[in-house]
Amino acid sequence: MQRQKVDGQPAYVLHTYPFRETSLIVEAFTRDFGRVALLARGARRPRSAIRGLLLGFQPLEVSWAGKGEVLTLMKAEWQGGQPLLAGHALFCGYYLNELLLHLLPREDAHEALYAAYAETLRCFADGVQEADLRRFEKSLLQELGYGLTLATDAEGRAVESAGHYAYQIERGPVRLSRPGDSALSVSGKTLLDLAHEDFSDTRSLAEAKQLMRALMAHYLDGKQLETRKIFRELQEL
Amino acid sequence: MSTPSSLEELIEALRCLPGIGPKSAQRMAYHLLQRDRKGARRLADGMSHALEAIRHCSRCNTFTESDVCERCASTKRDASLLCVVETPVDMNMMEQTQAYNGLYYVIMGRLSPLDGVGPRELQLDRLLARACDGEVQEVILATNYTNEGEATAHYVSELLRSRGIKVTRIARGVPVGGELEYVDAGTLAQAMRERKNVEA
Ligand SMILES: [Zn+2]
Repeated sequence: MQRQKVDGQPAYVLHTYPFRETSLIVEAFTRDFGRVALLARGARRPRSAIRGLLLGFQPLEVSWAGKGEVLTLMKAEWQGGQPLLAGHALFCGYYLNELLLHLLPREDAHEALYAAYAETLRCFADGVQEADLRRFEKSLLQELGYGLTLATDAEGRAVESAGHYAYQIERGPVRLSRPGDSALSVSGKTLLDLAHEDFSDTRSLAEAKQLMRALMAHYLDGKQLETRKIFRELQEL
Repeated sequence: MSTPSSLEELIEALRCLPGIGPKSAQRMAYHLLQRDRKGARRLADGMSHALEAIRHCSRCNTFTESDVCERCASTKRDASLLCVVETPVDMNMMEQTQAYNGLYYVIMGRLSPLDGVGPRELQLDRLLARACDGEVQEVILATNYTNEGEATAHYVSELLRSRGIKVTRIARGVPVGGELEYVDAGTLAQAMRERKNVEA
């Protein structure tokens, strides 16, 4: 096990768990090291200076040292520029975090995904647009190497806007003679709009949501998202 | 050497306390049995008595020994105000301010989507029923200013507003007596974003 010492690393807190009597385990998403677990010693003591800083959805700079699975957080500094999330945006933020916690392997750097995450949170501060969520999901799948095939079909032919397709996971869109009825059926226009990240057509946006949900369910491999369950429960109240 | 099983059981039982690992549990068990058997008896009696006697107030959800706690039963409190807090400790803090004379509702937790804590676990329907008793005119949300506390406040406020109840949120900002030089940057940034008009 190599000893690590990292200073001033840009990071976001994804989640924290209580550890022992007074400490916290911080699951952080860092720019250059991906997802790391940091032990924040004494962070749950009544007057801990660091606890208030370890707030999700806020850009931080963190320093750590140690070796093995758990590294010790030495310092965290608030960077600013990101308004606190409120209301519905908070719940969408939790959704992003849950995806990252489940799908992002530990200590695997994804600089572009980090940038996409930061950009999505900035957009959330002005109110959540469905398009922001789709854009993030797309870059998550791309960055994790699940690469979406959108502009060409599984046979390598250009996707036609007027065509009907069924998206086959790991292969790409397969042309159908008429509209399909599975969660993975999409129109050619939706595929092309998603490829160009053009979400001005509400039908494309709705179909893209359904497609992304089916893809996420596949890669989550049976894991249910707590954020989705709780969102449903809240709407039932 | 084999350990007697009732000692093992005691050590295992002590581990239910937050932050107590096997070593601390063993130390506590030996201490109680070896050095303070009287204290151990008091602890055991106190525990079983409390478990029998203490329940949740049917009005405010805090711990009480009767169906309705003393505060909720009091006629001196303003029943048109209902302050929502996360824990009984938060309620005690609010009481110490002597700035509030209304009633309370204690959620006994907060929404925490990533931990799977949702409205069902928190029984938020009980809070809705309490706030909609016809007497409450204003619900004051005093959940923490953490993301979880904010998420909780947001959903409770949406639910109550849709039922026609006035909802307010305690303010946040620079502490009383606080000098800007020593206030953390996050608090200062939010105080700037949430600045208010100066009254003439
Ligand atoms: Zn009560």
